[in-house]
Amino acid sequence: MVVVVETALKAVLILLYATFVGFMFMGIIRIVTARIHRRVGPPIYQPILDTIKLLSKKSNITHGLIYDFGIIYALGATILALMFIPLGSIGILRMYGDLILITFLLEIPMLGIMFAAMSSGNPWAGLGSQRALLTLLAIQVPLGFAIVALAESYGTFSTYQIVMAQQSMGWSIIHLPLLLAAVAYDLVLQAMFGKEPFDIMIAPGEISLGPMVEFGGKHMGILQIQHAIALFAETLFFSNIFLGGAVITSFASPVLNTLASLGVLLIKQIAVLMIAIFMGAIFPRFTIDQAARFYWKWPTIIAATGAILAAL
Amino acid sequence: MVDWRLFEPLFDFARRKSLWIVAFCTGCGGIEMPPLMTSRYDLERFGMMPNPAPRMADLFLITGYVTPKTLKRIIITYEMQPDPKYVMAHGSCPLNGGIYWDAYNAIKHLDRYLPVDVIIAGCMPRPEAVMDGINKIMEMIENGTADGWKRYKENYEYYKKNQDELFGEGWREREARRWIPWLMNRKKEE
Repeated sequence: MVVVVETALKAVLILLYATFVGFMFMGIIRIVTARIHRRVGPPIYQPILDTIKLLSKKSNITHGLIYDFGIIYALGATILALMFIPLGSIGILRMYGDLILITFLLEIPMLGIMFAAMSSGNPWAGLGSQRALLTLLAIQVPLGFAIVALAESYGTFSTYQIVMAQQSMGWSIIHLPLLLAAVAYDLVLQAMFGKEPFDIMIAPGEISLGPMVEFGGKHMGILQIQHAIALFAETLFFSNIFLGGAVITSFASPVLNTLASLGVLLIKQIAVLMIAIFMGAIFPRFTIDQAARFYWKWPTIIAATGAILAAL
Repeated sequence: MVDWRLFEPLFDFARRKSLWIVAFCTGCGGIEMPPLMTSRYDLERFGMMPNPAPRMADLFLITGYVTPKTLKRIIITYEMQPDPKYVMAHGSCPLNGGIYWDAYNAIKHLDRYLPVDVIIAGCMPRPEAVMDGINKIMEMIENGTADGWKRYKENYEYYKKNQDELFGEGWREREARRWIPWLMNRKKEE
């Protein structure tokens, strides 16, 4: 009984921490983009205010059961993915967190949003979903090769064991094959964040936010929360498998150790986020055929080279 | 059950500080938006964002003169937005016709067809004047006088009478049939 309560408490705490830090990440994205444009930018807590406003709308429009279900599905899949990723020494299901499972769970939310968008019947939403589906298809190839390179190099699919192995043999990115895999994965991350060169599926000026066009009120509020958790989970996954994660045991008390590893992870996550923001701020948008061709060419070649080198 | 009225001050603060704009740039006035959004005046300081989707919009910005053809789109876009929603008319033309005061094909008084919260006079208003209007609407949200969405519900007969006088009875169905014929046909079959 005590174990159940403790696990539940842990899950809630991880969820709250991830949501809060995810919202801060969204604020950081907006501030840094504003500073690159030489603007002042909104306060860092702006995404939280947006979410409160969206959740407090007095009227809601729904387009049927699938429309409501798709959003809950997206949120649930993101939370599940978060629970599988090792977060320092905490993390409930970290022992079962397998590379393929986590990448799968991190892509599932896009499908949920697409279900909901398609069921609304808006032509922009349908067009945006098509593009999102094609982007999802395009990123699979480099993503697969990057994961094969990791698994080949460490001899395991378990994220937790990869983190542990990195404590003795150094970060993944100091080995050439895994550095190539990391470069490819980072390019894929750009599409998973929905940042600039590959954000044709949610292009605001062209197709009116694509899949997001019909969401308003509470639906959009839940999607904002989902986006915050997804940002946290994706950066956390990258810093775990490529940047060494954080397993700190130098303090005497376990609470201090946990806090220190959370801090180290936070720094690594912000570094991953910054790369994505800078890339998003300086590059213009690819059309969908250019994006697909790009993913099937350069990141695939880089990741495949990494996988071959790891296997040698 | 939680009494949500307790949180109304927080909600009002959030509504005031995160107005997402849908801009209906009819004729002139659209050119005032880029300097407002970019580094010169930077409206994002106040949490405002231009937004293409009416479903998640709060502030409906109508810039320039309104003709009967655009008024139909404006009314439909307005009714698509979830409550609470605020309307800001920008320029002299929606206020009293402006230089089109004797034109046969321009709407002289927008507030006969839609509840307008703030009107910025001027032809064209400078970006500073637009920012002043935005400050005004933030104040009005704070003290609860930005209640156009309530007035539209309460006085719907008045607005509907004016709209029907201009466009003729049943104009919504006619428009919808032109825009989304497959949807209307399916409804007829059922």
